[in-house]
Amino acid sequence: MTDFTASLTIAASGLHAQNARMTVIAENLANADSAGKTPTDTPYRRRIPTFQSVYDDTIGGDKVEVGHVALDMSDFQSRYEPGHPAADAKGYVKYPNVDPQIETMDMREAQRSYEANLNVITATRQMLGQTLNILKG
Amino acid sequence: MNASALLNAMTEKMRWHQQRQNLLAENVANANTPNYRGQELKQIDFGSELDTQIAPVTLATNDPMDFAGSGDSSDVADAGQQLNFEVTPEGNGVTLEDEMMKVSANQMDYQTVTTLYTRSLQLIRTALGH
Repeated sequence: MTDFTASLTIAASGLHAQNARMTVIAENLANADSAGKTPTDTPYRRRIPTFQSVYDDTIGGDKVEVGHVALDMSDFQSRYEPGHPAADAKGYVKYPNVDPQIETMDMREAQRSYEANLNVITATRQMLGQTLNILKG
Repeated sequence: MNASALLNAMTEKMRWHQQRQNLLAENVANANTPNYRGQELKQIDFGSELDTQIAPVTLATNDPMDFAGSGDSSDVADAGQQLNFEVTPEGNGVTLEDEMMKVSANQMDYQTVTTLYTRSLQLIRTALGH
């Protein structure tokens, strides 16, 4: 017989995955200006979390998990700063390929998904409470 | 009226709602997973199932859609891929707003069934003289 533990476990995995996504976003935002110390250093490269659904035998449903964290291979930004220790011969410094606006959008998405999973847990808990209320007559 | 048939039908409906809740939780948790299209349960016509329960002698139960009664674990409804309103470039077809609406509706329907169940039990108790 199906019960509600599957719903709770799956929604909890959703919460966990969105949490991991927030961690990556926080990492990107915090390192948005990490240019490196010498001209040969590579600056921080933006990271992208990937999700995959994983079938779980014990609950009989698809949980979500964070797959490997991919690197964003787009070009670095270049700014003209001749006095910077990491400036190359022409005075350009390579900065990470992090766009704060995109990260903020991602953050809003993650927050929305997190709330949705929380709502599923709340609804399931209420349904469980309803079931127990049958006993109270 | 066969009281136990009615209670069985309501128990089946509750099981269907539980299973649907599991599916909806899957959809919501996988709302960002690439190539995930979402699933939905096939609707069961509980009115006709109730009729089946009340008059069992006139029906042969060889059709897999007829459930045999309480406790039969083969009466799990079919899950199929749901229609998608839009599919993102990654291939994900789950709309969070739709899923949240379905979760709310599912919860309210479940509440209706459990309340009906409780009232039926109270009726029986009244009949017994409590």
